[in-house]
Amino acid sequence: MDILVGWWDDYFWGSVVVAQVFVCSLILMIIFGLIGAAAKLSDNFIAQKLANGYTIVFRGTPEILVILLLYFGSAIALTSIAQIFNPDIKFLDVPPFWAGTIAIALIVGSYATETFRGAFLGVNPGSIEAARALGMSNLQTFIYVRVPEMWRLALPAFGNHMLSLVKDTALISIIGLNETLFVAKQAIGTTGEPFIMYIVVGLIYLGFSTIITLSVMGLERFGQRHLVSSQ
Amino acid sequence: MTSNAVIQMKNVGKSFGTFQALKGINLEVAKGERIVVCGPSGSGKSTMIRCINRLEKHDEGKIIIDGKELTDQVDDINAVRREVGMVFQSFNLFPHMTILKNLMLAQRLVRKTSKAEARDTAMQLLERVKIPEQADKYPIQLSGGQQQRVAIARTLCMKPKIILFDEPTSALDPEMINEVLEVMTDLARYGMTMICVTHEMGFARSVADRVIFMDAGEIVEEAEPKAFFSNPKNDRTKKFLSQILSH
Repeated sequence: MDILVGWWDDYFWGSVVVAQVFVCSLILMIIFGLIGAAAKLSDNFIAQKLANGYTIVFRGTPEILVILLLYFGSAIALTSIAQIFNPDIKFLDVPPFWAGTIAIALIVGSYATETFRGAFLGVNPGSIEAARALGMSNLQTFIYVRVPEMWRLALPAFGNHMLSLVKDTALISIIGLNETLFVAKQAIGTTGEPFIMYIVVGLIYLGFSTIITLSVMGLERFGQRHLVSSQ
Repeated sequence: MTSNAVIQMKNVGKSFGTFQALKGINLEVAKGERIVVCGPSGSGKSTMIRCINRLEKHDEGKIIIDGKELTDQVDDINAVRREVGMVFQSFNLFPHMTILKNLMLAQRLVRKTSKAEARDTAMQLLERVKIPEQADKYPIQLSGGQQQRVAIARTLCMKPKIILFDEPTSALDPEMINEVLEVMTDLARYGMTMICVTHEMGFARSVADRVIFMDAGEIVEEAEPKAFFSNPKNDRTKKFLSQILSH
């Protein structure tokens, strides 16, 4: 364990980065997933096709490739825009944190699109009719009836998406985000102890995924509270 | 045309693909009138009342509710739906909300009543359907009859001018039918305008001002209950009545 002395604080700050990426990408992932599902279920032909294109592309390409393409693609675009105003600029990029966060949110969001779509279809149509018959608008019905019934159905698969999300943060090290895997690579370069350094990373991720799994279990119990009969 | 008609259907038609569910329906319902609609399954009874609050869109003719014609205007539809309550065969309570919240939701969102007022109205109506003690339970914890009474109370919370009942007792165990019919009879006594699709002929006899018999998407016969049951004119009505009253 002496070998790890001096690296603990690097691992700690790496873990903080993992947590930050996870929280930001989780919020974005839910938004992308809800928009995708709403588009797929809408009557609008163009919205349907766009959402189909989205899920085909992001579910059908390697995640690491999406991260690279998004990072370098956005950097090239930014650089060429900046060069219009100042020709001396050689390279300008979107911060790896945001490029990576958006990339993994888009990827996992494409899976969440399908999860949410299926869950929305599982909502009892009778509840929706009752809401309409009471004079509630489409938006009110969506917020107060569809989503609260949908999320309970989506939760088991959604828990998997959260695990994918936290594990995908490790991929962002490839564009230079200093999360735990990035720290491990530096530590290996100095100490020459790959096994120990990678095991630490593994344990950190196991810690994160355990917290997520327990939270999902708690949420599932909360979501089922009205299904437990009083007897 | 009577001036106090709250529902007017003029030559209303509705098709699902090639199947014509409603053909040339003409119906006028006066304020405070209680109508029972019966007929074999697939005869268009449910479709007819679902057109009245536009859960189904009619594709021929005119429907005018309380002076407003039903069109594609979303605001107008929601305005009409505020005044037209509906009770469903399968109750359709919101499963994720307590009974009290089920009763308060649309009051708050659609009628914009205050929380305290919505709660008061909800509790009063739960008293009226005789289950105030269930206010904090979830729908699944109630029996079918209790759920249907809650559904009626939820509709009444909106203070509608008309209530449509779509086979309200068909999904209930026999011993629970009466508790729901009692609530409906009570409503009728207080002058609520009601259209009720049901096969409860006892209810029709004691409560209805008019009984309407439908078959194959058409209104075949309409009469006061006494005349309807003792002296049906149409052969299809006779056949239907002999089938449901024979046992």
